[in-house]
Amino acid sequence: MSSRAMPHIGQVPDPSQGIETLAATILLIEDEPVTRTSMAARLTRLGYRVLEAENGRVGLEVARRERPDLLIVDWMMPEMDGLTFCDAIRGDPQLKSSQILLMTAHDAPAQIAEGLVRGADDFLSKSSSKQEIIARVLAGLRTSRLVRKLETTGEELKLSMLLLEKKQAETEADLQTAAAFVQSLLPSPGSPVHGITLAWEYQPSLTLGGDLFDVMTIDADHLGLYILDASGHGVAAALRSASLMTFLRAENMLQLLGSYDPANVLFEANRRFPLSADGDYFTLWVGQLHLPTGSLSYASAGHPGALLSSAEDPSRWLTTASFPLGFDPSARFTCDRVSLKPADRLFLLSDGIYEVPSPSGELWGRDRFQEAIDAGKQTSLSATIASCFAAARGWQQAQHFPDDAAVVGIELTDCREDTSNG
Amino acid sequence: MQIKERIVPQGIILDVVGDLTYAHRAVFKAAVEKARQAGCRNLIVNLEQVRFVDSAGLGLLVLVSQNLKLQQAQISMLKPQSYVREIMSLANIPKMIPIYEREEDALMGRAA
Repeated sequence: MSSRAMPHIGQVPDPSQGIETLAATILLIEDEPVTRTSMAARLTRLGYRVLEAENGRVGLEVARRERPDLLIVDWMMPEMDGLTFCDAIRGDPQLKSSQILLMTAHDAPAQIAEGLVRGADDFLSKSSSKQEIIARVLAGLRTSRLVRKLETTGEELKLSMLLLEKKQAETEADLQTAAAFVQSLLPSPGSPVHGITLAWEYQPSLTLGGDLFDVMTIDADHLGLYILDASGHGVAAALRSASLMTFLRAENMLQLLGSYDPANVLFEANRRFPLSADGDYFTLWVGQLHLPTGSLSYASAGHPGALLSSAEDPSRWLTTASFPLGFDPSARFTCDRVSLKPADRLFLLSDGIYEVPSPSGELWGRDRFQEAIDAGKQTSLSATIASCFAAARGWQQAQHFPDDAAVVGIELTDCREDTSNG
Repeated sequence: MQIKERIVPQGIILDVVGDLTYAHRAVFKAAVEKARQAGCRNLIVNLEQVRFVDSAGLGLLVLVSQNLKLQQAQISMLKPQSYVREIMSLANIPKMIPIYEREEDALMGRAA
């Protein structure tokens, strides 16, 4: 017996055995020199690179060093027998998927079963014919090749997943930056002008939202306000919304139209933001509040509208049926007027706040939203808005809204000169 | 959302079941495209089993309406549920796409 592994480089391979035999390495572990030499010679003649070891312990060292494609192991050996060798291979993270052909004189079912339990993949009788040896070796190598391919693919997949996760993290960081930018475009809660309180809550359905709004000073006497809703979701909708938001800036409208007349703003926006080739469009509600009188003029382009909540009177919707932007390039929009009194509240909202389904699929709806607003008359503006969001979340029994949800509220906190209807 | 196509002598009826929303736009587009390629001149979208249409769904309907008009074809809607009808009314959709309560009226293209 030798204590060293003895590699034998094979003869010219037989092309008929297939490409997998060309570089296949077989480790033959057998304590009986004559059997080992004879088997090694046979395998070498078949074109394999054959490594030899005289017991399991030496075989294990060679296996760890050479990572052979197939292990042919004798059952009975000194120092480390075939079954113990199988245990060691299956317990080694680097070698556990190796293919083991257990060579034995035993063929009793109980022993075969024990061999399989301990980790052998197949058996080879010491008295096997040349044909059987070839067949079992080929089968073992075929399995070995498939297992290695699977391992390689698994490694590649793991690497791809890591790359994907990295890219995803980068994209998410970009989206967060974009979301922060969009958020910075929204008006600051508080008091945009003397006598007006502003509060809002906004929860985009994705990182970037397509529903945007603004409350801005037009001139010393006028406050402009709008809420827009882009159809669809995601980055594309958010970019389109940001583009419309830029268009709706007070200075741009004053330059283009000479005023912030809501109907004219919608007419101009309708011309410039047509229905996209994918069916994307905006709905938009625009209002202009005359601060000295409290007179609010407003117009809507397919938007669900605004809700006027008065201290004494029942709340009412400020909207009219009209095409969204881009549906009809020649569309004209009607401007309506209403007078706001001190303590009146005006809520602009996106449909995402009330189009939330209960677990059974029933929508919360405009009426329930209106009830929530009416129920909050005695609380602060921000508390009323917060209670609407809480009620909607309670209805859907989820924190996350399926669509962008926004509620913007303004409250007149100062007496105006004139409260008659305009 | 599921769409079943019924071919009748006067056109094609798409029986839609589920919500016509952003998430299902590809299914709806594919059904319309199939009808268009079949040379359909009268496309009827049956909304009886549709509980909700979102803004993206509305946009698709309008886009289909505009595209069919260019090909001298038309789209109409059948039996929308009350909430869907409310959403459509708010966006003036009935002025653009006829709504029918009876299938035979939709097939004949006559006012309900």
